[in-house]
Amino acid sequence: MSSPPAVALPLSGAAASGSEASARTSRRQAFDLKGTMASLTVLRLRSTDLALVERQLRVKIAQLPHLFLDAPVLVDLGALGDDAAALAFGELVRALRSCKLVPIAVANVPDGLRGPVTDAGLGVWQPPALGRARGAGDAEPADAASTGPLSAQTGATETPATETPATETPGPEVLRAGASAPAGPSAGAPSVRAPHAGPMVINKPVRGGQIVYAKNNDLVVLAPVNSGAQVIADGHVHIYAPLRGRAVAGAQGLAGARIFCQKLEAELVAISGAYIMAEEIPAQFHGRAVQIFLEGGECRIAAL
Amino acid sequence: MSKVVVITSGKGGVGKTTTSANIATGIAQQGKKTVAIDFDVGLRNLDLVMGCERRVVYDFVNVIRNEAKLQQALIRDKRVENLYILPASQTRDKDALDPEGVGRIIEELKQMGFEYIICDSPAGIEKGAQMAMYFADEAIVVTNPEVSSVRDSDRVLGLLAAKTSRAELGGPAIRTHLLLTRYSPLMVKRGEMLSVGDVLELLGIPLLGVIPESKAVLQSSNKGSPAILDETTDVAQAYLDVVFRYLGQERQHRFIEEEKRSIFGRLFG
Repeated sequence: MSSPPAVALPLSGAAASGSEASARTSRRQAFDLKGTMASLTVLRLRSTDLALVERQLRVKIAQLPHLFLDAPVLVDLGALGDDAAALAFGELVRALRSCKLVPIAVANVPDGLRGPVTDAGLGVWQPPALGRARGAGDAEPADAASTGPLSAQTGATETPATETPATETPGPEVLRAGASAPAGPSAGAPSVRAPHAGPMVINKPVRGGQIVYAKNNDLVVLAPVNSGAQVIADGHVHIYAPLRGRAVAGAQGLAGARIFCQKLEAELVAISGAYIMAEEIPAQFHGRAVQIFLEGGECRIAAL
Repeated sequence: MSKVVVITSGKGGVGKTTTSANIATGIAQQGKKTVAIDFDVGLRNLDLVMGCERRVVYDFVNVIRNEAKLQQALIRDKRVENLYILPASQTRDKDALDPEGVGRIIEELKQMGFEYIICDSPAGIEKGAQMAMYFADEAIVVTNPEVSSVRDSDRVLGLLAAKTSRAELGGPAIRTHLLLTRYSPLMVKRGEMLSVGDVLELLGIPLLGVIPESKAVLQSSNKGSPAILDETTDVAQAYLDVVFRYLGQERQHRFIEEEKRSIFGRLFG
């Protein structure tokens, strides 16, 4: 399996339609084979006790059903170390499916488990493996499932088409950051994680009518975000000044994304699709330094 | 060295044309060769406010279309030396403006030795307003102390940072100044109007001056004689301060606090 894995996970509208448009060739092709960047839920196993895994999974899913039900999942065995070989893989797959998860592939598969993995109809995620650096022994909370953006960059380079808002004469001025041109897998050390480009930093006021979008990235704003302005990031949004306009974190669905701001006077805050309007913001948070995060599928505000 | 200064606001009726007329007049009074250009094609007003409406033969659009020479369209002010007006057309619309034509005329004005080229922007953020700001080196953003005006000014400040020649060619950012007009300290005190501090906090640009609400503005517009020419009024004093401040002199801000009232005023007010 040395050819680039063809994991063409459907992305949301813009990217998908963009690649279709650019795929027209003179000869009619029956298909396109291409790589894409996608957000995937990664289930990093920390225990081979499947009963325990299943129990914790069910709790997790009950909390955030919209995120996990029927979600494709990449199973990462890297954190199990040598214990992975003893894993009852068929049982694991059955447990996941009974929780309404859809396992699609397995990363860090020990040689002894390759057979059971392929027998179960799952893919073996080849070397561009999950970051070893985050492997066993790091100090993360021992959640059964850790959702994170797995930037699975594979194969061909196809810049996702970014929709540009129609620029009528006074159209919104859009600033964009980040991965405009994925350079393809480097020959030397391919990695599934896109190299960290550092957050997008804005140090001038974001004025009414302006939109700042940090694509695949965090956004740091060091000046006021004024009424009628929008700041958007696929990751976190940090505003070290008053937030009077709109802020959106986790714009592509990253549920762990948060908004931090020094003075909350927002018109709207949203994380991964859930939002709070100005009038729903409790008075005690108005003008305060706060963070906003998802809990049980809803936006929560907490003082900093 | 010539400076192109746009007087802009987004919102209409806040005092752009009044401010253009007064600042152009005030700068010219200081011996600087100054021209005020009316960008409000189709709704020309600057000529009225400056009292030269009967002397308009050719206009800005005629010059852009090479139907007249710039010298033929420029009107020399009769009261103040060094002051000229380039009137807008009353019959065309703003589509008659294009960056090439506007750029050519501004370049020509610079060649003629104008030190200050004051561009009176129309309201809105459409073509006329964008043309007025496109070649600016500096901007005076005219704002009334109320929420919708502040919001529009904020929008315009965003455009100044993005849709101007300096922004597109990567030059130094346009210098922006805030001019707060129609200010009433009494209403601010009663909590019926945003204060200078409120507006400054929202917009975050330096304050050039505060012009008090006054009947003198309306009277001078109707007379076609900029308020700054009658130094007895508070509006004239305020605009004089603004002009001197703009030309680099230190002047204390006035008209921000309520005037001291007599003991009777306090008792019966």
